[in-house]
Amino acid sequence: MKQKSNKGLIFIGLAIFVVFLFPLYWMFVTALKTQTEIFAIPTPLWPRELTWEPFLEQLSVSGDTLRGFKNSMIIAVGAMVISTILAIPAAYGLARFRFRLKKPLILFFLITQMLPSTLVLTSLYIMFSRLGLLNSYIAPMLADATLGIPFSIIILRTYFISIPKELDEAAKIDGCSHLGSFVRIMLPVAKPGIIVTAVFSFVYAWGDLIYGITFITDPTMRPITSSIYNYVQQYQTLWNSTMAFGIVAIMPVVLIFIFMQKYIVSGLTNGAVKA
Amino acid sequence: MGVAFAMPAVIYMLVFIGYPMLQNIILGFKNVDVFTFSKPDMQEFVGLKNYMELFTGKNSILTKSITNTLIFTIGSIFFQFIIGFGLALLFNKKFKGNSFFRGATMISWLLPVTVAGLLFKFMFASTGGIVNQFLTQLHLIDAPIDWLLEPHTAMIAIIIANIWIGIPFNMMLLTTGLTTIPEEIYESCSLDGANRFQRLFQITIPMIKPAIMSVLTLGFVYTFKVFDLVWVMTKGGPVNSTELVSTYAYRLSFEEFQFSKGAAAANVLMIILMVVGCFYIKLINDEEEAM
Repeated sequence: MKQKSNKGLIFIGLAIFVVFLFPLYWMFVTALKTQTEIFAIPTPLWPRELTWEPFLEQLSVSGDTLRGFKNSMIIAVGAMVISTILAIPAAYGLARFRFRLKKPLILFFLITQMLPSTLVLTSLYIMFSRLGLLNSYIAPMLADATLGIPFSIIILRTYFISIPKELDEAAKIDGCSHLGSFVRIMLPVAKPGIIVTAVFSFVYAWGDLIYGITFITDPTMRPITSSIYNYVQQYQTLWNSTMAFGIVAIMPVVLIFIFMQKYIVSGLTNGAVKA
Repeated sequence: MGVAFAMPAVIYMLVFIGYPMLQNIILGFKNVDVFTFSKPDMQEFVGLKNYMELFTGKNSILTKSITNTLIFTIGSIFFQFIIGFGLALLFNKKFKGNSFFRGATMISWLLPVTVAGLLFKFMFASTGGIVNQFLTQLHLIDAPIDWLLEPHTAMIAIIIANIWIGIPFNMMLLTTGLTTIPEEIYESCSLDGANRFQRLFQITIPMIKPAIMSVLTLGFVYTFKVFDLVWVMTKGGPVNSTELVSTYAYRLSFEEFQFSKGAAAANVLMIILMVVGCFYIKLINDEEEAM
């Protein structure tokens, strides 16, 4: 009896998996089809005529894809570094110390996480244009970091809270300063949390569209989300190339997902529920 | 000491979020547009003029975009929640492949929304779109539907795309909520002869109410400010039928260069989010006090 119901569950799980991941399958298959096949009625669920041309074209002839990839890499890594460096000490401070501003500061980060980008976009645009930062990597980098910081602080704080106080105290008895115990004890213990938040800061920055299309108009500087958006505006129905472009654009995220899934799930649920 | 650790991040957020936000509120009361943008001496305060102009008139696009945003948000959350809850209940049971299937369904949440939007734009395309093909093959429709070119169906299409993106978030948070329910409660209940539905409504849902509430309010806030998905799929069209407050604010500022009006529209968005946000924060505080 038990065995039977278990089989039923596996079947349901599999069915959900198939339906849910169908769009990704479709993206991949479309990138391998010829345009004729894409618009055939009915279009085949698996290409009869495999073609790598869309991929090759994206990766060689049109420089957009690889350039966009490089630009996004620079911007997202930059945003990740800024966000992580600022979030670690802040999360530590908000987890380990008692002070009057503590609660308002936690609230402050919670609220900043909820604000829409459109709210700060115009003012940031004016600010960056005065500073001469438009059409540079710095502008989206600085703006994208604001997406990662509050989230990172909220998640890392729960990590620091869960580390037993005794560890701190033992370090102090051994003559460690606050900073010393932070660097030598807390950082190594909180490493899984730091990895998760860094990864998320990267993913947020990598996925950003609005800052990228607003602050950068120079086609050679565009991040990949912005270049694929512009590509579609130009080549409306060239779906196989667009999907090949899309696959390149999601590659880093998919790799991160495959290799770090365990970290991500635990980190996320920690932060989101106990925020 | 704690403040010193937190300060760099606080200052950063004040400079790049706090200050621009204040500027945006002020900008909403001014007359900055394409003519006065580079002439500070011509910029002046105009009171509530921008807001009046945005809200009045038979065809106020702002009013329409607020309604659209509400429909979009409620439609998305309703299905995300139901499906996410169903999946959380399913994956809470032990079976082979459980963690693999659960893990795999998370990917949609991590993808760059721009790419997900384009993918759905393609699947909903009038010609060559797989959605039309499936519906035709199942004999549910006779002729292809112009999903993204008709007002009602365009709204349905962007909601479906957004549901796909949001399900993992709902599922994950609810799964965590479910793992906090002790097994013994169910055991004592099954002795009492309660059936599955009674257990769901009398134990499971009340026990994870805090998780449910935070999923719903956070979901509301995140969905209400969605921009990229809609910008990529429909750009707010056809004829503003999928125009959200965020896309409208963006259009005003960066396509029509009416910066002050765009700022005012964004401020309206902020006020709505603030109200819901306060509700969420009160919820968290209540929970912390209860613990």
